[in-house]
This record gives sequence, structure tokens and C-alpha cells, in this order.
Amino acid sequence: MNEATPLPFDEPPSSRPTRRVFTVAELTADIRTKLESSYPEIWVEGEVSNARIWKTGHLYFTLKDASAQLNGVMFRSAVRLLRFKPTNGQHVVARGRLSVYEPKGEYQIVCEHLEPQGLGALQLAFEQLRERLSHEGLFDEKRKRPLPALPRKIGVVTSLDGAALRDVLNILGRRYPNAHIVIGPARVQGIGAADEIVRGLKLVGRVPEIDVIILTRGGGSIEDLWAFNEEPVARAIVAAPVPVVSAVGHETDYTISDFVSDLRAPTPSAAAELVVERKDEIASRIQRSEDTLRALLRAGLQRRRTTVHLLERRPGLAGWPARLASRGRYAAELTHRLNDATTSMVGHRLREMHTLRLRLEAVDLGRRLGRIRGRLIAARERLAHSVREARGRREARLRTAAGRLEALSPLAVLARGYAVCWNAERTMVVRSASVVQPGESVTVTLHEGELDCEVKSTK
Amino acid sequence: MTKPEEPNIKDFESALSELESLVKTLEDGTLSLEQSLELFERGVQLSRYCHTRLERAERRIEILSEQGDVTPAPASLTDPVGDADERSR
Repeated sequence: MNEATPLPFDEPPSSRPTRRVFTVAELTADIRTKLESSYPEIWVEGEVSNARIWKTGHLYFTLKDASAQLNGVMFRSAVRLLRFKPTNGQHVVARGRLSVYEPKGEYQIVCEHLEPQGLGALQLAFEQLRERLSHEGLFDEKRKRPLPALPRKIGVVTSLDGAALRDVLNILGRRYPNAHIVIGPARVQGIGAADEIVRGLKLVGRVPEIDVIILTRGGGSIEDLWAFNEEPVARAIVAAPVPVVSAVGHETDYTISDFVSDLRAPTPSAAAELVVERKDEIASRIQRSEDTLRALLRAGLQRRRTTVHLLERRPGLAGWPARLASRGRYAAELTHRLNDATTSMVGHRLREMHTLRLRLEAVDLGRRLGRIRGRLIAARERLAHSVREARGRREARLRTAAGRLEALSPLAVLARGYAVCWNAERTMVVRSASVVQPGESVTVTLHEGELDCEVKSTK
Repeated sequence: MTKPEEPNIKDFESALSELESLVKTLEDGTLSLEQSLELFERGVQLSRYCHTRLERAERRIEILSEQGDVTPAPASLTDPVGDADERSR
């Protein structure tokens, strides 16, 4: 090597132009120093290949493009902060410094941060976690628990000073004024938020009588909402002992929490509306059921009174329900036949008339027209008359049948002073005097109200 | 844990659904008088229970500490502000 040849780096010019021999180590160390000081922080983009994480937790990979490649390493501490998993073929931008791995004489980028090109890093992390949890079946509909109709206590995990909490409390207070609410405070954004949310869910889940938990946060950027996309939060939701309603961000924001929770609500207010029905609505629902119940019982008693009445009036009337039914069928049959007969008769007459008209056209019109017209008119009248008559006859028969049916109906003979008599325990209807003893008390249910009676004697 | 006073009612939810299915059964009207009366009495019992449950809880807002202790929420949280009214409707 000759004295004029400079080293390929910016070494200060040597004052003594003598031959300088480096050891490999010296040279490598020198190169390393120069590289490191020239490229203390660079951004470089390329495609990931040969990515592998060693047992030590460090990530090794190669960045390449069409004509060159660069080895890269990312130490465990930096790998832990990655929100996505670098995979081969991914286009990334790496931030780091250049350095030299002396034992191999290789230069490489020591990577502090990686971010995927195209999809944002958070977006990618979101997709990856969503896919993984979905694969585990955590989003399955059949995993989702139904919300209780009336939660004894309602848990809320959110920030104490957020608008979300205020909205939830407002709505709950309005819909169900005597709601018992237990708040598990948690910061909902920033470093450590996920841990606090996990803790909040655990604490609230342990409170006795909590029947449902609202996990909520108001709107914000994807970074603000990020804690709700973290795996520990998702796992804590799955592990919660009671159903979790997730309401994170605005209506258009979807987080992993939303997917994994038992129910997603579009907003904090909506979550509050979902966990408890309006109190007045539940109350009137209960009242309606009770009213129906009373009305049904009253109708049932009435029906039975009538039956008793009817049976008493017609002793020896065995199998009356069957007869009643057959009357009903008979009436229906009559109606049907009446309709059938009318229809077919009209059809028949129309056909006759048609034939007549054909015959009429076939003959000498001039000579026979008058007579035929007369017959035609008469025929038409007969037709109308017989249709009327047949219908009248059948309607009369139907009326008769319906009248008889009516007379037989138990509904037509509503109770007049008939009563049901119960034994004292109300377990049995007293149908025979022989089942009670003098001195025993019985209850008598009347059309309106009841009587408590004591049996004087039995006959 | 305060358990409901009715030993044969599991919880509000089952009471409500039992009440509603009971009404359906009675509507079918194929029961004997004794059975209907039994159902009716059960129905009234369920309805009372539901009403009681609905009224029993009293408005309370509590905050959990890190240790899991419960303290009443400050008034600033429990007094609703008017502006949120109807906002979410």
C-alpha cells in the first residue's frame, strides 16, 4: 500500500507518511468507531427476511431491497415494546444505529424501533391480536353471556374523571333510580392504563352481588383507546365472573375489548341503557302479568260455574261436550254446503243460459226472436228466483242450527248465584257433602269475593 | 349476601320469566281448577317478589379502592348534571 492512499474514511491526514499495519481487531474497532459515530441514528426501510427471535429474546433479521441487504438485530428490551410481530416479507421502517459485530466482521443495524409500512403499527398490532384471539374462539357468540334482567349491583370500570362515567351514572340514575353502582377506577389511557383496567375488572368482579360490569371510555384517537386493544385487558374481560358490556370510544371505534366482551355498546350512555331496563317498564310488565293472571282465573272460574249450571239443568246429559262439538261441526258443514250449493247452482244455470243463447243464435232470429226472448227472460227470472229461494232455505236452516247451538253453549248460561266450595286447606273443591264434617270450615268462592263458612251439618 | 326472602325463588330474572310463562300456561286453559288456582297463587307470589326486588335496592354509588374497599362516591359524581340528559337518546 502506498503512502498516498488514504483510508476510505475521514481519518485526519497522517503527519508521518509511514506504513501502518493494523491488526484485524484494531481495524475492525476503528471501523466500528467510525460507523457508529457516522450513523448514530438512522431510519432505513426495507423488506424483512430471515426474522427469528432467539431464546435470549433478541430479534435477528435481514432488511433487504432489490439490490442490497443489511443485517439487523433488535434487543429484547426493544422487542418487548413492539406492538406487532415482524414477519418475513413485511415492509418496514427501522430506526437504529449502525454497529459492527466484531467477531464476524459484519456490520449491522441495531434496531430500536420497527414500524410496518402501509398499515400503521397500531393497526397491524390490532389486526394480529384480533386474529389470534378470534382463532382461540374468544369472539364466539356462544361464549357470550346474557345480561341479567335486573342486576343487583352494577360494576363500572372507567376513569373517575371521564365524561363516560358521568354519562353512565346519569342514564342509570334516570332509568333505574335505585341502582347500586360500584366503580372500579382505572386510568383509561397512557402507559399502565391496561394494567389498571385489568385490576379494576378483577376488583369489581370480586364484589358480592355484582351482576354485570360496564367497561367504558369516551372517544379519542386510536392511541388514546389503545389500552382496550391490549391482550391482558381482553383476557381479563374473558375471565370476568359476570357479563361485561364494553363501550369504548365513539360509535365507529371498535376495540378488542368490544369483540371479546359479552356485549358491545356504541357509547357509554348506550351501555347504561343496555344493562338495565327502565324501572317503570319492568314494573308495568310485572303488573300486566299479574292482571292477566287474575283475569284468566276469573274467566276460568266463570266457565266452570257455567258448566256446573248446565250439567245440573240437564241431568243425564252424558257426553255433552262431544255433542256440542258435533253441533258446531254440523253448523260449519251446513254453511259450507250452502255456499257450495249456491255456487254450483249459479254455475249450472249460467251454463244453461249459454246453451240457450247458442241455440237462439242458430235458429231463424226474425221468426223466433220474440218467443225466445220471452223464454230467456222467464228463465232468467226462474234462475234468480231459485237461487234466492235456495239461499233463503239454507240460511233458515243455518239459523235454526245456530240457534240450537247457542242454546247449548255454556257461555249462554252464565252463572247466577252459583258458587265453588273449597275445603279449608283450599286443596280440593267440595263436590260432595260427604267429604266435609260438621264443624269444618270451608271457603266459598262467589262471582265476586269469597265467603269463609263453617259447616253446620251435612246431608 | 342478602338472599331473597322467598326460598323457592332463585332470582329476579327467573321469577319474572316464571311469571310470564305461568300466564301462558294459564291462557291455554287446559288445567284443572286446582291447578289453575295453584298457578295463580304462585303467580301472585312471584309478582310480589318482583315488585319488592325492584324497590328494594337503594340508590348508591360507591368507589373501590386498590385494596378492594368500598367508599361512597363524592357528591360531585352522584349529582347528575342536567346537560347529559337526553343527550344519548
